Amino acid sequence: MTTPAAIPNPREFRTLLSGEATTLADWAGHFDWRRIGAHVTVILIGAGLYGAAMGWWRDPWQALFVAIKLPLILLLTALGNAILNAMLAPLLGLNITLRQSFAAVLMSFAIAAAVLGAFSPLLAFAVWNAPPMTPDVKSSLVYGFIKLSHVVVIAFAGIVGNARLFQLLAQLGRSRAVARRVLFAWLAVNLFFGSQLTWICRPLIGSPQLSVQFFREGAFKSNFFEDVSHTTRRFFDDWD
Amino acid sequence: MPLPLGDDPADREQVLNPITAVEAILRQPRRVMYQLRQPGAGQLIGSMLFVTVLCSLVYGVIVGSFSGGTQWWAAPVKISVGLLISALICLPSLYIFGCLSGAQARLSEIFGMVVGLLMLTTILLIGFAPVAWLFSQSTESIVWMGVLHLAFFAVATGFGLRFLDAAFSHSQARSPVGLRVWVIILVLVILQMSAALRPLLGTADDFLPTKKKFFLNHWGECIRDSERAGRYQSRD
Repeated sequence: MTTPAAIPNPREFRTLLSGEATTLADWAGHFDWRRIGAHVTVILIGAGLYGAAMGWWRDPWQALFVAIKLPLILLLTALGNAILNAMLAPLLGLNITLRQSFAAVLMSFAIAAAVLGAFSPLLAFAVWNAPPMTPDVKSSLVYGFIKLSHVVVIAFAGIVGNARLFQLLAQLGRSRAVARRVLFAWLAVNLFFGSQLTWICRPLIGSPQLSVQFFREGAFKSNFFEDVSHTTRRFFDDWD
Repeated sequence: MPLPLGDDPADREQVLNPITAVEAILRQPRRVMYQLRQPGAGQLIGSMLFVTVLCSLVYGVIVGSFSGGTQWWAAPVKISVGLLISALICLPSLYIFGCLSGAQARLSEIFGMVVGLLMLTTILLIGFAPVAWLFSQSTESIVWMGVLHLAFFAVATGFGLRFLDAAFSHSQARSPVGLRVWVIILVLVILQMSAALRPLLGTADDFLPTKKKFFLNHWGECIRDSERAGRYQSRD
C-alpha cells in the first residue's frame, strides 16, 4: 500500500537515478523504512506501467494482469533472495548486513523499474500503432519489432540498474574486485530465481491463440530451465 | 602468509550463542577459528552443531515438500542424520591427514573445523531454500530437482570447504595435499550417503532402501526412468 510517507521525494528520486555512490551508500547504510517504501513505490509504478504497456496489445485485462505481475516478479526476487544475497556478500569479502544488502538490491531494482516506467509510453505508442493481435500477426514484422523492443528496453533497464549497483557495492566495500565478485554472485542467483518467477507468471505479452488469464494452466507444472533443455534437445533431434 | 589467529583483537571476541556463531562464521570466520583453539571450545562446537541440525532439518523440509506425505518428516531426518554421520565417518581420516602433514591441531579442534564446515554449508542451504521451494512447487521432474539440490549443495559446500581450508592454514600444516584428498573423500561419502538413505526426493514404500546401490548407478537409473516416462508422455 502506498502511504503518503512512502511517496518518492523528487530530489531523492533524482539522486537514485543519477547514482551518486556516496549518497546511495549512505542510504544503504542507514536503513529507513520510509525510503524502502519509496523504492517499492517506484517499482510498483515503473514496472507496473511497463507491464500495462506490455500486456495492452493482447487485451486491456492482460494489461492489468501484467501491471500486477511485473512489479511482483521484481519484489519477490528481491525478497526471495534476500537471505542468500546477505550471506554471499560477506563470504565474498563485502561485510554488509541483511538490511544493507536488501536495500542495495531493492535500489537497483527501483532504478531498473524507473527506466522501464520511462519507456512505457514509447512502448504503449508502438502498441497503439500496431494492428490487433490476431494469430496471423505473429508472423509479421510488427510482432518481431515489438518483441525486440521489449528485449532492448528490459536489457537496458537491467544494465543501468546493475551498473548503479556495482558503483554502490564498490563504494560500500571500497574495492572494485570485491564489488565485481558480489555483483556477479547476486546477478547469478537473482537471474536464476527471477527467470523461474517470470516463467510462472506467464503470459506477459500474451498469445492470440490463448485466452487472457492471470496464470496459465499448469503454471506450476514445469520450469523455465526444463523447457529450455527440452527445446534444445528437440532442436538437436530435428537437426539429426 | 595470513596474520596469526588472535593477533587481531576482533579474533578474541567470544562467540557466546548460536546466533553469534552464525554471524561470526559469515562475517569474521577467524573469530570462530581462534575460539576453536581455546579451552572451553565445546560450547561453541555445541552451538554450531545445534545450528547445523536446525538448518539441515529446515532445508530437509523444503526437499520433502517436493513429494509431500511421509517425506515431510523423512527427508529432514535423513538429511540431518546423513550429514552428521558422513562427517563422523570422515573425521578420523582428516585427523590422520592433518597429523601426517604436520598440522598442530587437537582432535577437538579438527572436529570443530568440520562442524564449522557443516554449519556454513547448511546456513547457505537455508539461503537457497526459497529458490528450492519455488522449483519444488513448479516441477514434477525428480531428475531436475535432484540436479538443482546437488548444485545448491555444491555451492554451499564450496564455501564451507573454503572455511575449512582457511582454518587448516593456521594449523602449521606443511602441505595442503592431505586436506585436498580428504575433501574428495568427504564429497564422495556425502553423495553415497544420499543414495544409501534414498529416497530423499520421490516416494518409496520403505523408509530406507532394501537394495544397495552406488550413487552413480542410482542417478543413472533415475535419469533412465525419467526419460522413459517422458517418452510415454509424449506418445500420449
